[in-house]
Amino acid sequence: MSPIRLHLFAYQVGFGDCFLLRFVYPDDSTRHVLIDFGTVGMPDGVDKAKQMLRIANDIKDKCAGKLDVLVATHRHADHISGFDPLKKGNGPGSIIRALNPDVVLQPWTEQPDLAEDATAPLAAAHVQALAGMNEVARQLKARMDSKPKGLDAALERRLGFLGENNISNKGAVNNLIAMGSRPGARAVYAHFGSDDPLAEVLPGIRTRVLGPPTVEQSAEVRRERRTDPEYWLRAPLLFAPQGTATASASPFPDAPCARGSKLPQNARWIAGRVRRARGDQWLSIVTALDKAMNNTSLILLFEAGGKKLLFPGDAQIENWRYALNQPEIAALLTSVDLYKVGHHGSLNATPKSLWKGFSNKDESKRPGRLTSVLSTLPEQYGDKNAGDGTEVPRVPLLNALDKDSDLHDTHRLPPGVLYDEVVLELQETP
Amino acid sequence: MAVNANTQTFTILAQDPAIETSPGQPLFARVSVPLEHLADGPVGYRVKVVDFDAAANRLYLPHAYNQTPGEAAIDPFDPADARVLGQPGFHCQQVYAVIMRLLARFELALGRRVAWGFDGHQLHVVPHAFVEANAFYSREDRALLFGYFQDGEDWVFTCLSHDIVAHETTHALLDGLRAGFMQASGPDQAGFHEGFADVIALLSVFSLSEVVEFALTCYRGVNISHQGDARLIDGASLQIDALADTLLFGLGEQFGQATSGLRANPLRRSVQKRPSTDYLDSAEYDDAHNRGEIFAAAMLRSMLELWVARCNSLGTFGDNLYSLDAVIAEGAKAADQLLTIAIRALDYSPPLDLEFGHYLAALLTVDSEVAPDDSRYSYRRIIRDTFASYGIQVPAGLTDADGCWLTFADNDKVRYQNSHFDSMLRDAEEVFRFLWENRDVLQIDERAYTEVVSVRPSLRIGPDGFVLRETVCEFTSRVNLFGAEFTSVFKEPRPEWLKPTTPVTVYGAGTLIFDQYGRIKYCIQRPLTDARWQVRRLEWLYGPNSEAAEPGSAADLTRIHRARAMQAPSTAQELQP
Repeated sequence: MSPIRLHLFAYQVGFGDCFLLRFVYPDDSTRHVLIDFGTVGMPDGVDKAKQMLRIANDIKDKCAGKLDVLVATHRHADHISGFDPLKKGNGPGSIIRALNPDVVLQPWTEQPDLAEDATAPLAAAHVQALAGMNEVARQLKARMDSKPKGLDAALERRLGFLGENNISNKGAVNNLIAMGSRPGARAVYAHFGSDDPLAEVLPGIRTRVLGPPTVEQSAEVRRERRTDPEYWLRAPLLFAPQGTATASASPFPDAPCARGSKLPQNARWIAGRVRRARGDQWLSIVTALDKAMNNTSLILLFEAGGKKLLFPGDAQIENWRYALNQPEIAALLTSVDLYKVGHHGSLNATPKSLWKGFSNKDESKRPGRLTSVLSTLPEQYGDKNAGDGTEVPRVPLLNALDKDSDLHDTHRLPPGVLYDEVVLELQETP
Repeated sequence: MAVNANTQTFTILAQDPAIETSPGQPLFARVSVPLEHLADGPVGYRVKVVDFDAAANRLYLPHAYNQTPGEAAIDPFDPADARVLGQPGFHCQQVYAVIMRLLARFELALGRRVAWGFDGHQLHVVPHAFVEANAFYSREDRALLFGYFQDGEDWVFTCLSHDIVAHETTHALLDGLRAGFMQASGPDQAGFHEGFADVIALLSVFSLSEVVEFALTCYRGVNISHQGDARLIDGASLQIDALADTLLFGLGEQFGQATSGLRANPLRRSVQKRPSTDYLDSAEYDDAHNRGEIFAAAMLRSMLELWVARCNSLGTFGDNLYSLDAVIAEGAKAADQLLTIAIRALDYSPPLDLEFGHYLAALLTVDSEVAPDDSRYSYRRIIRDTFASYGIQVPAGLTDADGCWLTFADNDKVRYQNSHFDSMLRDAEEVFRFLWENRDVLQIDERAYTEVVSVRPSLRIGPDGFVLRETVCEFTSRVNLFGAEFTSVFKEPRPEWLKPTTPVTVYGAGTLIFDQYGRIKYCIQRPLTDARWQVRRLEWLYGPNSEAAEPGSAADLTRIHRARAMQAPSTAQELQP
């Protein structure tokens, strides 16, 4: 039995992802897959907490109280914050948990206890490094909260965003683990080439895992230095004073000094440069770790009734590269029918070769044209005026999506509208 | 004190606070630097120390230096003990003295003043810039910025590590000598900046005999025995592997301990990379730091071989015992000669797009000029064999049987008559006129925009004791091409990934060495039409395995800039010093 139709609900989570997939079968039965549920910024006038509860309740209604599959593509807050039940248990994560998903699918990097796995030292080191990155982000956020001097407004905003998005979300992570370990449920931690993790729960649908690659797989294509796990492990202690000392503690509390606001003439020029260099260093570190986290994203390709649906999370080029280097995978991806635009429309998440290969993109609005779905909120990430192409969504990509595909874009939803519903007939059109 | 002394001495930490002669007693050394009348900071004619801490948002007030009647600065931290480590003023002295000592060493090797890599004379040095385990040279900020951080209860100051300060200073000096080495190029060039900085930092310690003695004996528990006045050391402790394990070949001991949690675990110990010709072709060694370690390993292993060869020629005191002082002296001589040729070889390197093999050719050429007779210790054979064991070979076709650059053979075709000898020694305009008039014989492409980057004198004492004056001139050429023009320019098929409409900039460059008569002695060139190299460079920067930005785009420039300046851990250069 193959599904005949897909209803895709792209929820208004501002800067984040939340997609509910409803597969409808010929006998009117349905299967529901939730891919991500997180946010780090809502459109103006939208209350974040209330909106997330509203969405959780809507998901519950849509799936009639039962999720078949829950996917958390990676651990960034803009993808998993909604899974947090919050301390009092009244968060959106509690509502989702009650939907009792049968399979909880996450990337291999999220496997609990992997960090101590002596038989897979490379993987363990990688996972330890991810934990170190969370800690670095937490310390950066603490720094930003203390309003450091000498950073320009754009840099300050960008640092604040990246810090918040990369801090670990223990509530959500633990809730995901709990959902996967419910009796009768199954937690799957997948990598490129994993056996179809959803075969049992999604009849007639083939789910391919195209990313992330394992450490060994990515070593085959990576020319960059391995993400140095040691660096990220020690990084937390490098960032800020430990223990009781405050962030602005001096190592020489008794040494005669001049305050930063009353510098003598001969120190002013360089002091300004030092302050700015400090901000740039933070940005460089946190951008690197943000990218590393994005590259733990699951990349999923659903094949259902002759249609292909591609959900790459926030995977950036380094994650994509392994899959795209396999000629048969590259060929398979040319006929994608629905594309969830990677990483909210950023520069590095839609590889050029992938986009160019899509054979269903077309300027004319013909039936069967590529459908693209973008969940984003402008002016949160990157800076359009910096001219470095880091703004999200990236303008040239947005224009191309608009021109060559049926683009569904959450940031164009009218105020008060909770989701964009995309309907895709899955049977081959004659 | 002699009336005409031209140096003054300062106390520094010889390695870093983790290296102690006894518990609580760090290893100090006294070093000589050029004499000058310091302003508070200290601020001298080449270094301006400003102790501003952005994290604590305060400026530590500088120590004022008094002078002796002979005009030398009085070292306020002599005699030093562990307490000085808690005084920011000592940290300022540490960076000032290490930097000035290294600058003087470069100037000694080259026989001329050496500029920093920016417009301006004084390098800003900020010993406590921010809380971060990082230190770096910033051309834009005209500065070396040193971070600090907390390791448990202890503070770790990168500015107190001799190796880290010397490493960053070398970046600034190298940038002054070869600005083109900071440009995006192939894999070797960025690696060279790193590896060279490590090598200079380590070799510059060998002239501090008290440090070498400590490293050979107390620090590794090797006893000194005595025969009469002679202090003796067991030859077993002077084997290559034993020496490679010493303090002398590890870089950044305290930093390594703090960040790894392991004692006696320096940040890098490149010399322990076993020789293998596989490194250079493996993807893991494409990264600047890793690749730099291969270069450093080849240099430092050469140093070890030379030192051991020199020790082996010493007499023994029976039972395989060697004179400790002679061993230390031989190490100092070996390091001194290697340091000199390592620095001078920069003059004999192309201005940009360096590959390790080019530098090796430069090294061998310089050494053969300084010491034509190589029979005693076979320096050049040792260096060449050691580099070869790491897969580094001199470029074929450009070098002679000894691995030295081919001397320029076309002097009879060069038009000298329209240029003036005296102007050619210093005037870039005059040299450019000369280049342009001889563009055919010098393979300077008319289509490209060519400019003379530098004209510098190089003075040294020749083997016959006479002063030799050469002139070193760098020029670069650039041309903007579209992918479609690739084949017509390079006579090679266009790489598949390079689209016909993609704009790229390609470079050519050369170093001309003029002899004391003003005639071309060497023309060390990277012609713009070198197709093999251009494909390699373009593929490295923009090929299918590089990052995805379009060449020439704003994103590309940002990436390259960040890769060089920011030293992000996953992209390039250094996150640790």
